[in-house]
Amino acid sequence: MSAPLPPLVDAVVAALLVFGGAFALVGAFGLAKLGDFLKRLHGPTKVTTLGIGSILVASMLWFGLRGGAPPAHELLITLFVFITAPVAAHMMVKGAMAIDDSTKPPPPPERPHDAG
Amino acid sequence: MLFALIALPFAAALALMLAPRAGRNLSAWTVGLAALAGLAILFVLAPAVFGGEVLRARAPWIEAIGLEFFIRIDGWAWLFAFLVLGIGALIVLYARWYLAPEDPPRRFFAYLALFMGAMLGITLAGNLLLLIVFWELTSISSFLLIGFWGRRHEARAGARMALAVTGGGGLALLAGVLVIGHIVGSYDLDLVLASGELIRSHPLYVPALVLVLLGAFAKSAQFPFHFWLPHAMAAPTPVSAYLHSATMVKAGVFLLARLHPALAGSTEWLLIVSAIGLSTLVLGAVAAVFQQDLKGLLAYSTISHLGLITLLFGLGSPLAVVAGVFHILNHATFKASLFMAAGIIDHETGTRDLRRLGGLYAAMPITGTLAIVASLAMAGVPLLNGFLSKEMFLAETLAFESWPSYQLAVPVLAVFAGICSVAYSARFVHETFFGPKGHPPKTPHEPPRLMRVPVEILVVLCLAVGILPNLVVADLLALGAGGVLQGPLPDYHLAIWHGFNWPLAMSAISLAGGLALYAILHRRGIARRIDLLSRGKIAFEGIVAALIGLAQRVTRTLETGRIQGYLLWLLAFILLVGASPFVDLAAPLSTKPAQPAGPMAVGLWLLIVAGALTVTVAYRRRLVAVIAMGIVGLGVSLVFALLSAPDLALTQLLVDMVTTVLLLMALRYLPAISPPEPERLARWRDGAIAVAAGLGTTAIVYMVLTRPHPSIAEYILATTMSEAGGANAVNTVIVDYRGFDTLGEITVFAIAGIVIYALLDRVRLTALTPFAAKGPAPHSLLLNLCAQLILPLAVAVSAYLFLRGHNAPGGGFIAGLVLAIALILQYIAAGSEWVDERLDHDWNRWIGAGLLAAAATGIGAFAFAHPFLTSSTPHVHLPLVGEIHLASAMGFDTGVYLVVFAACLLMLAMLGKVSRWEARD
Repeated sequence: MSAPLPPLVDAVVAALLVFGGAFALVGAFGLAKLGDFLKRLHGPTKVTTLGIGSILVASMLWFGLRGGAPPAHELLITLFVFITAPVAAHMMVKGAMAIDDSTKPPPPPERPHDAG
Repeated sequence: MLFALIALPFAAALALMLAPRAGRNLSAWTVGLAALAGLAILFVLAPAVFGGEVLRARAPWIEAIGLEFFIRIDGWAWLFAFLVLGIGALIVLYARWYLAPEDPPRRFFAYLALFMGAMLGITLAGNLLLLIVFWELTSISSFLLIGFWGRRHEARAGARMALAVTGGGGLALLAGVLVIGHIVGSYDLDLVLASGELIRSHPLYVPALVLVLLGAFAKSAQFPFHFWLPHAMAAPTPVSAYLHSATMVKAGVFLLARLHPALAGSTEWLLIVSAIGLSTLVLGAVAAVFQQDLKGLLAYSTISHLGLITLLFGLGSPLAVVAGVFHILNHATFKASLFMAAGIIDHETGTRDLRRLGGLYAAMPITGTLAIVASLAMAGVPLLNGFLSKEMFLAETLAFESWPSYQLAVPVLAVFAGICSVAYSARFVHETFFGPKGHPPKTPHEPPRLMRVPVEILVVLCLAVGILPNLVVADLLALGAGGVLQGPLPDYHLAIWHGFNWPLAMSAISLAGGLALYAILHRRGIARRIDLLSRGKIAFEGIVAALIGLAQRVTRTLETGRIQGYLLWLLAFILLVGASPFVDLAAPLSTKPAQPAGPMAVGLWLLIVAGALTVTVAYRRRLVAVIAMGIVGLGVSLVFALLSAPDLALTQLLVDMVTTVLLLMALRYLPAISPPEPERLARWRDGAIAVAAGLGTTAIVYMVLTRPHPSIAEYILATTMSEAGGANAVNTVIVDYRGFDTLGEITVFAIAGIVIYALLDRVRLTALTPFAAKGPAPHSLLLNLCAQLILPLAVAVSAYLFLRGHNAPGGGFIAGLVLAIALILQYIAAGSEWVDERLDHDWNRWIGAGLLAAAATGIGAFAFAHPFLTSSTPHVHLPLVGEIHLASAMGFDTGVYLVVFAACLLMLAMLGKVSRWEARD
């Protein structure tokens, strides 16, 4: 174990953890509370980006600056989250659109046909 | 040479099985040569055997149970083996011409050779257990032979009946032999035959005797087991001629004779054997008169003659034994020839119905003459062999001394049976060859020349024995009877003319009475009108139907198709067993303080509890239940991670993923909301049982965890490097310490996969999910692309986890799951058609390969003279890669890997296939 970290770093890490945790909470709350499917989809996406992102950064700072191994785990986790989260959301929307007609985007408005 | 003798028929059968193109000639020659070579060996052995020697050859088999491959040839064994092989050779020749071109000759002759070998085994076995082995083998091979024309209902029914009766008798015989072995202390025939006094004075003598007799009587078609023999006539005629004249049915009387020195001589023996023999003799003779089927007549006559032989052995005097042996020989010759003649008639006319035959003598004079001579022998007419042994039999019935009424009944009934036997012989001859011409389906003519040869040989033997008994058969008879008695022979002499005496008078009465009886029956047409079929068949079928009915009732009661019912029984039973130790439990629940639970542990505990409660509350909404179960699974895997069990955590996580995917796929075919439980009472009962089971499990786990006990963990941790060659004790436990368990488990897993395959293959289901109506699932290019990108990565991870598994978290199980999940993703993203096109998706074969790999690794240890699944751990140094640790457990782990991976995918692929075949309205 190396020396304790400067207080500033401690503070930043703590702030990031609280920030991430708060977003996770908000995301879960939104998932439970929001009205229709497409709105509710917003909740989990906030969790995966801002929430998990902040916690990962905090982890990188904490373990990285304490002189441990380079933060390979966190980078990998970030990579996989970046791959899976959008794909999962994409699939959910596609599924919803296939099942529930109300989630389909409205047809493009009829534009007056320009002559020429 | 003794071993070769017994191996010959089996070798012939094996050769035929391996020669797919063998035709009628080649097949017949193979088996025929085996029989002839066996006969040659017997002739080589003859001088020694005739000189009174007993030849022995031994090879160890299963010493622990007293089973030894012991071949013992004394006079009786030699004589019977001679009969088996001699008649066998003739039957082969006959069958060559009998079989129709569409009958598969290879199969027929292979079965025949198998039967011949089994029969030979019975005669030559010098160990009672070995005799049982061959005994059952004759039951099985005769089943195959009787049911040879398996397309015909009566062939299948007859074969089944013969197998059930003779096989059941075989079980009784086995029990009897075990009792004898218990009494004597050995199954060695030499010892058993020498311990007659001991056996007869033992308190277990009667049970042993009854059990052995049950076996012998069932085999020899003695009353009340006689009914299977007439139904076995559905067999091809060469089979009937062989099995039901000379060999199979004679196995029972052979055994009676074989064990005669050990078991006979008591009042019980005399009573049971003679009474059964007498009733069979009379019943068979009467029934034979009223048969309309040519072979049925011969079958009942065989039953009657077997009863006669049994009666002779039952009378028990040395002279009666000589007469019994003599009659076995004579009956084999004339009955085999009669069966063959009946087969010729059937072959050439197309029917065996006595009512449709008649006047055949003009069309087939030679066959007719042969059959007439054989029938005369059967009737016991002088100058033929049947007369001689019958005369001896009659003399013995007169010499028999017992209670006055029984003593009188035996000769009187013997004469009555003799009258019947003359009557049915007369009927056989008269209604087949003489009288008005019948209306057979085919125009009769003489059979092929060679088909008649076996009949001719046998008939000539009948005559030769009958006219010159001393020259032809005296030595053989003395040899066989000497072997049966295991001692000096009584004083007797074979002659046609003994002067005017009672037996001759009885013969004369039989002849005259029989002819008169037939004349009356024929004149009035009575014999043709009555078709006397055995009630045994009805009884047998009644018993079988009752058994099946009982089984069906039990099955219907227990197998309701509702999993709740099964779980109820299972859990209730487990509770009962599990709760019993708690009833008078004196020990405290815990004997050492519990570890403090950290906040993480409490949090996980709450998560799992919440998940479990959600499942309980929301179980009717299946999708919610599946998701909640996923939460529980994740919680458990986190607990494992928290408790420093990375292997278990990984496994749990992966298993949970696969399970969830499979459950979700199955949900498609279930209603979204399951129907409510019907009864409130049942709900409370189920709830109570569930709670009790959960609490009970908790109590057991708590008690185990909170008391100090010697653990095997220390031993495994200390020896995992030195013994199993791996640092990861979890993995070495799986593949090494408890490798046999693992083998069993992957076998179960493989079976589960195959069962799912069997259940879902070709099943047509209707999707019940409301989404199904919306058409096929949307295709996502994004997901597809990502899945394809991830696949190579996942394969690499899987390989990595597998390779390092022996020393670090990982191993075949985990690696297999990783690969399975990666492929499941492909299925989801691209659809099963797309994946199946690109993969060898014959998962059953992969499962088989995995099981083979695991088992082969285990068996490989034998090569180094180690017990099953012993692992070896050579280290190999490879350039670049470095030190490679090559535990043989790796091979085993490969098996685990393949089975896990392939079985997961099989289940998934089957569910996918079902969705492809969905019934669409």
